[in-house]
Amino acid sequence: MQALPDHLLAPGTGHYIEQFGQLNHCLPGNRDQWSRDQRKTSLARFGKIGFPTQKDEDWRYTPLRPITGKSFDLVTDDPVAADAGKFGIPDLDSYRVIFRDGVLDPNPSDLDQLGGGHIEVQPVSSFLDDGPEARKSGFGEIIGAEEHGFTALNSALFNGGVVMTLQAGAVVDKPIELIFISGRKLAMAQPRNRIVVERGSKMQVVERYVSAGPHPTLTNSATEIVLDEGAEADYYIIQTQAKAAYQVCGVWVRQAAASRFSCRTVTLGGALVRNNLCAELGGADAHCDMYGAYSLSGRQHVDNHTTMIHAARNCTSNELYKGVLDQRSRGVFRGRIKVEPDAQKTDAQQANNTLILSRDAEIDTKPQLEIYADDVKCSHGATIGQMDGQALFYLRSRGIDRQEAESLLTYAFVSDVLGQIEIDSLRRYLEKVLGEQLIHEDEHPGRE
Amino acid sequence: MLSIQGLKAVVQGKEILKGIDLEVGAGEIHAIMGPNGAGKSTLANVLAGRENYEVTAGSIQYRGQDLLTLEPEIRAREGVFLAFQYPVEIPGVTNVYLLKAAINAVRKHRGEEELDAVSFLKLIKEKAALVEMKQEFLYRSVNEGFSGGEKKRNEILQMALLEPPLCIMDETDSGLDIDAMKIVAHGVNSLRSPDRSILIVTHYQRLLDYIVPDYIHVLADGKIIRSGDKSLALELEQKGYSWIGKHASAA
Repeated sequence: MQALPDHLLAPGTGHYIEQFGQLNHCLPGNRDQWSRDQRKTSLARFGKIGFPTQKDEDWRYTPLRPITGKSFDLVTDDPVAADAGKFGIPDLDSYRVIFRDGVLDPNPSDLDQLGGGHIEVQPVSSFLDDGPEARKSGFGEIIGAEEHGFTALNSALFNGGVVMTLQAGAVVDKPIELIFISGRKLAMAQPRNRIVVERGSKMQVVERYVSAGPHPTLTNSATEIVLDEGAEADYYIIQTQAKAAYQVCGVWVRQAAASRFSCRTVTLGGALVRNNLCAELGGADAHCDMYGAYSLSGRQHVDNHTTMIHAARNCTSNELYKGVLDQRSRGVFRGRIKVEPDAQKTDAQQANNTLILSRDAEIDTKPQLEIYADDVKCSHGATIGQMDGQALFYLRSRGIDRQEAESLLTYAFVSDVLGQIEIDSLRRYLEKVLGEQLIHEDEHPGRE
Repeated sequence: MLSIQGLKAVVQGKEILKGIDLEVGAGEIHAIMGPNGAGKSTLANVLAGRENYEVTAGSIQYRGQDLLTLEPEIRAREGVFLAFQYPVEIPGVTNVYLLKAAINAVRKHRGEEELDAVSFLKLIKEKAALVEMKQEFLYRSVNEGFSGGEKKRNEILQMALLEPPLCIMDETDSGLDIDAMKIVAHGVNSLRSPDRSILIVTHYQRLLDYIVPDYIHVLADGKIIRSGDKSLALELEQKGYSWIGKHASAA
């Protein structure tokens, strides 16, 4: 089935193309012709374009060698068997859906109960294999804007996921928590989800990425979210994976008129994390928030790549990413705002603020505004600073020791982003993890 | 309480304090006056332990301890309190959090139990009333968006809460209108006690109308050039610092 002979394949793709040959018979949707065709097309595309390199402007500051230099194995059976209970957040009452190395675990995931009966939920396998033909064509419709090799790889080789549709006018009583557990050595998890929030309905979703062990793993996820008119979704991406975990996280959002979407991305773990978040405001009077917070140490690398497309009039968007970089860590922020000719009266704000705690840490920040309408209000700004010595002395002069004062100021720096987290138990959990991490870092002998 | 001998200090390569001798007994209020650039604030900051203020000679004894060997947080827990000339804004840290962390740091240091939430709130309400600070200020970020007067009242609130044996007030009157100054003075006067010493650093005499010192010292060009009782302030007010400078060099 290979579209190209081996010598014409892009570097690093051969291993995954081989895996497709071995595993395609047991991937979700393998009984469905349309799905099989989609996968093959995507695989051919992956073989042609390959993994991005630093020659691609969109990947310029993120060396992918740690990922492309390894051969990860797609998991289809016998995924990591960790007890999902140990990843629970205290006091967070949620509907939980568990994925193990990308594979949906039907046991602890009570799909029937999800959303108190207002949500229709299906594993991607049954959606593609048994679902109505007419609805299938929407699957993956918005994934792929700003396409790159990882998207094509996910489209060709996704190994799990859910399709959720929230009925019109329904409000889900508690958050839906998607927990992605990585664990097997060199496991590749490629979940693919589709969420449709129908007219006037409202939901909260928490995506969590965690590790069951210290092994290197790759999670390459793709989630699409469609908001109908007046729909509202609060979305959380919480990344607390182990220090050897690699992740490319893709979320694509399409918003109809008067809808509201808010995403908060908090990255505290992982060796190399690339977040691609893309929202298209396609109907008038829609609103989109993108908030991000990250605190990194060691050689952690986190790249937040956001795209906000204003395609309709009178929409508003607000974007704030704040990061704390210690030791040799590196942050990258790319914030693209595109205002299309019809998007008059757009109001788009963007800011990226970084606190650098070490002379070896680095941030590359790049706002990118493309404005094709003439009656718009757009702003962007980036700041980079060090620990405020005056504030540090002020706290110490009140009896607070240096270590606690530093961690307090670091926490305070990202507190306005964490303050945007409306689920109290989740916010408290993150405050605790961040606090422990900061204190732990201070004890780290390699601190510079 | 405090004994400073032959203190010299350098800031950014420049010698600012050129040999200070000062004795402050328990229960006394001392005012340090002097023209701008004399080294008044430097002295206050050296006492609190600010980094980059390098002590090159002399000693500071505080209640029998060598103060200069202590980290700033230990000095604070031992009861040296600096009310800042420019209180720092700390977005993201609530005032009430700072106050609780501060008082518990001091209590822990003394081997006392930390205050529980109920006792703390009762105490803080009482102290906030003393400086006429509204409750809402407790839950705002430290000094963020506070007016000049509110910042200074917040300093006195911290001081009243911590009840330190040695209070150092660095230009607390600057930027205060007369009403705010009366509130601040009332807060400070309520802290007067035979066990507590207060060092007031000020450019103007007016604060001393409300907080009456036992001793006044004039600091000029890094040295104390004249000491006296409260009448010295009035003399300075009439004749200005240039008079005392001439007077000292003539003497």
